[in-house]
Amino acid sequence: MGIGNMLMDILSPILQSIGPYMPGETFPHFFISKNGPGLFENALVAALIVTVLACLIGSFLMIRNLSLLGDGLAHVSFGGICIGIVIGYTSPLIYALAFSTVSAVLIFTMQRKEILAGDASIAIFSTGMLGFGLVVLKIWGDGITVDVEGYLYGDLLLLDDQNLDFILIISTLSILSIWLIRNALLATIIDPIAAQVQGIPEREIGLFFSIITAAVIVSMVKIVGVLLVTALLITPAATAKQVGNSFKSCMFWAQIFGFISVISGLYISAETGAGSGSTIALVAAVIFCFVAIYRNIVMQKIFPENN
Amino acid sequence: MSYEELGNPILSLRDVSVMRSGVEVVEKVSFDIKKGDFVGLVGPNGGGKTTLILTILGHLKPYKGDVLVYGHQPACKHNLGMVGWVPQAATNLPKNIHISVRELINLGALNQRNYLRRMDESSTSKVDQAMEMVGLKELENFDVSRLSGGQLQRVVIAKALASEADLLLLDEPLVGVDRSSRNSLLKLLDDLCHNHDKTILIISHDLSAITQSTHRIIYLERSVQFDGHSKDLPNLNELAIIRGIENPHASHSAKPHTTKFHRGEDL
Repeated sequence: MGIGNMLMDILSPILQSIGPYMPGETFPHFFISKNGPGLFENALVAALIVTVLACLIGSFLMIRNLSLLGDGLAHVSFGGICIGIVIGYTSPLIYALAFSTVSAVLIFTMQRKEILAGDASIAIFSTGMLGFGLVVLKIWGDGITVDVEGYLYGDLLLLDDQNLDFILIISTLSILSIWLIRNALLATIIDPIAAQVQGIPEREIGLFFSIITAAVIVSMVKIVGVLLVTALLITPAATAKQVGNSFKSCMFWAQIFGFISVISGLYISAETGAGSGSTIALVAAVIFCFVAIYRNIVMQKIFPENN
Repeated sequence: MSYEELGNPILSLRDVSVMRSGVEVVEKVSFDIKKGDFVGLVGPNGGGKTTLILTILGHLKPYKGDVLVYGHQPACKHNLGMVGWVPQAATNLPKNIHISVRELINLGALNQRNYLRRMDESSTSKVDQAMEMVGLKELENFDVSRLSGGQLQRVVIAKALASEADLLLLDEPLVGVDRSSRNSLLKLLDDLCHNHDKTILIISHDLSAITQSTHRIIYLERSVQFDGHSKDLPNLNELAIIRGIENPHASHSAKPHTTKFHRGEDL
């Protein structure tokens, strides 16, 4: 029995107990199913855990001005998934993980050695790896019926036990390690030279963070899809930046906005039949718009002296 | 007895040459800095000041010569945490961040032993002390993006002080700071040097301000052109105007001379 099943056994009574209070026709299925924990509950739990992680990582990525690293690595992962589908054997996510990690390390190295500054190296890797995957899929992928689209837009409800385990293990390890290095990571982002002088292993921290980001992106692909990864990674963190006035408070608000986006996104998608990933992305963006308008236009009109 | 108590210089450069992108930016620079010195490093743009500081920090490697910080190679385990780096605050902080004054200064208290742990009491008291020294205690919960240039520079100095560094290296701390904050910043540095036993090496364009505060000036243009007591810096006006360094006290009589100089060069 996998770690996912064990977790679901623990969580399912809790979900069962709050399920009846949930609104809508289909939405309560995420909490209650008649014959033990099923795909809907898996989807809910996986989505929530990935959200915690995504918002945590997103806050750091945004400060590093690497908001689109997530998007780039997601494209790379899709290349890996295509190769994985052609080769077969295990879940394509394993191939995606390998591709994405290697690319993240190379992007980090290129930026550090100033071979290419800024996001140019991201652009090269995201398109190059995606192209590689698509070419391989086209040439050797004859007769493959696996739904590639599911990876593009996310298919939360097709999360099998193997994928759930994969997502849970990566998420838990990543959350713990990011929490452990959070201060050092912040110090290296704010002033790498000062961090180095203080004795923080700046290069190692940066490399480690890149690898974790790569792993996180892959675990998000199944949930929100390659094209929408950034929605869960950056949008809640960007919304939080409108509200918070310290780093701690921004981290906290990012979690709140991420949670609201995922829950209401799942609700709307369950009730209307729209895709879960796209609905979550849409809700996250709408929340950002409202908060940004409120903070930057309404608040400035009411309390001009505060800004 | 510690290394510097034995009379050894804290910082010692011997024939240091540094290349950047294939160009020798710093050539055969030698000087010593003793504990308690307050030294100004001046020179024209592109004269190698920042390059030299980055070499002292261990961020760049000299291709010839030796840099010794507390008797050891820069950024090795014997002197980590003993050097404080104060960059130009305004250009240095990332834009997409909200961070409070205390949170930012907290980061200065991290070192090779505690960077994976929670803030302990001794770190917290170091941070409190640093905030007190620069006079920012009442702003501790302010978002740094709402501070003025002078206040922001104080925060960055406090961050370096929280590490308990004895040698402070400052890169253009007076840029983007208004006149009154500039004076109070210089007073703060003076106080840190005289009452808190800090050794300070400061890069600045502002010759008039820096000659008033520092004990010693090093004029660097690829190599050391002048190294001596601040008041002995020769031909200040000419030097400053020809090199394009800001010098508000330049007399009018110096101007026609330089105009002639430029014209002569053009012809």
